[in-house]
Amino acid sequence: MNILEVENLSLAYGKQQVLDDISFEFKKGKIIGLLGPNGAGKSSILKVLAGLVFADSGKLKINNQSQTEFHKVKSITGFHIDSPSFYPFLSAKENLYLLMKMNQKQIDIDVLLRKVGLENVGSKKVRFFSTGMKQRLAIAQTLLRSPELLILDEPFNGLDPNGFQDLIDLIQKLNAEGITIVVSSHLLNELEQLAEHFILLHHGKIALDISKKELQKSKNKVEFNFISELTEASIQLLNDKKAEFISENRLILKLNPKEVEQLVLALVHNGNSPVKVETLTLLQEKYLEITV
Amino acid sequence: MIRLVQIELIKLFRSTRTYLTFGITLVLMLIIDLGLYSDGDELFNYLLQSINDYFYLEGNLVNGYLISYLALNTLWVHIPTLIVIVTAHIFSSEFEQGTIRLLLTQSASRGECLMAKFICMILYVICFMIVVALSALIPSVMIFGTGDVPVFIDGIQFIQESSFLSRFWKTLMFSTIAMVAFSSLAMAFAIWFRNTLTAVLVVLGLLIVLTLLQTFVFGIFSSWQPFLFSYHIAKWQLFFMSDIPMPSIWNSVYYLIGMTFICYVVTYIKFNKMNISE
Repeated sequence: MNILEVENLSLAYGKQQVLDDISFEFKKGKIIGLLGPNGAGKSSILKVLAGLVFADSGKLKINNQSQTEFHKVKSITGFHIDSPSFYPFLSAKENLYLLMKMNQKQIDIDVLLRKVGLENVGSKKVRFFSTGMKQRLAIAQTLLRSPELLILDEPFNGLDPNGFQDLIDLIQKLNAEGITIVVSSHLLNELEQLAEHFILLHHGKIALDISKKELQKSKNKVEFNFISELTEASIQLLNDKKAEFISENRLILKLNPKEVEQLVLALVHNGNSPVKVETLTLLQEKYLEITV
Repeated sequence: MIRLVQIELIKLFRSTRTYLTFGITLVLMLIIDLGLYSDGDELFNYLLQSINDYFYLEGNLVNGYLISYLALNTLWVHIPTLIVIVTAHIFSSEFEQGTIRLLLTQSASRGECLMAKFICMILYVICFMIVVALSALIPSVMIFGTGDVPVFIDGIQFIQESSFLSRFWKTLMFSTIAMVAFSSLAMAFAIWFRNTLTAVLVVLGLLIVLTLLQTFVFGIFSSWQPFLFSYHIAKWQLFFMSDIPMPSIWNSVYYLIGMTFICYVVTYIKFNKMNISE
């Protein structure tokens, strides 16, 4: 069942077209990565979904509810849009308490703070929080409504490597609990290890809409580097695979992950162990294409 | 709605600036009391010099009631300034802190959020006017006692001590309505500009300009006066005339309530259609 359906969505700020006839749909229970360079339209899509921005045209459905019934949808959706903002003169607990009261929910705030690793700073005023702590608090506030769908806009911004890994673990844990999560980011590698479905945006249009499974089956651009001279058998093998030689010891092939494994074994058998095998996934290739 | 108003009140009364406005009002009142305590007699002798030549005035002229009345007269620009600093902030702070995204992605609708803030604004104005009333009245009565009040409106008039308090409370009720109307204007500008300082500057600028226009009783500006909110806000003075002209006061009350309603409707339409894109 689809949790999110977007049909022919368009949005312009003045003369600038931000979203141009975008359509996609997401199944329940997945982690979806919304990718693209800055200004691609990622945040704009999420702002339209959150009801912060009104689209010029198009249809939106969250959990089968259309945009006109969004107040019903809000109770099952958690939003973290843009940089996390809270009432700075209130503590983390007080901020969460206000939002809980607003949503008429009864949730143990201490348990929630423990879930996001902020149990020791619950009484501290938010103005003294680091960016990482604010990001965690932002996730905590999205969980106040026991959501079925979480929408996280650039949640990795400003995080150090530890904070980053913690957040990935937290997102995976929440997804394991059955929550569908939409994450937008311009960090391709990080999102690639997290999401199961990817939408790559460029200038407000969808450049690629692909699942992780499809990505794994698709032929990737693989670069092989050798130190030793290639044997006749290896050259024959590589030519059969339609290798594109950049130099004598460097070449590029289009292979899926299984084929890469088989080729490496065959090359080793022929006496040519590659010193470097670098795979550029279809997603990375497309991303590079639009950003360069 | 009640829970939304409670949330707004928590935000309002956890903010230092709310108490600062109360504190500043109290300090201003005490300064007026102390000033008049030391120089009051000389000042009033000077003011009443012209009638002293013709009349024999007996009794406690420099009294707490007179000082309360003078305090309201002196602070006619300070009170609106202090009020709009807080009331504009109730609306624009959400934009300044970025919490507007947090607020509008919760389960309450935009209309509910605005109404809660509007009610909170009214409650703040009521609290503020109570602070003004008590800080104007209590210290001055304690220091100077009570007595009849000489008032300069169309010449000198003496307000009897026994009728002063009822006039004073009616004045405060009227002023509360006036300040709610003035704050509604601040609300509209705060939502429009999404910035407290700009909203406060614009609304105070308007008050100053309109008050200036109002001072020209004759000539091209005179016909505009009934349409200026500053004209209606200043009607509180009429409660200190010997015969209170109630029809004129009611007229101003309707004008101010109408102005509040229009400001709310305009803000509601703007807020409901607003894109929170930044």
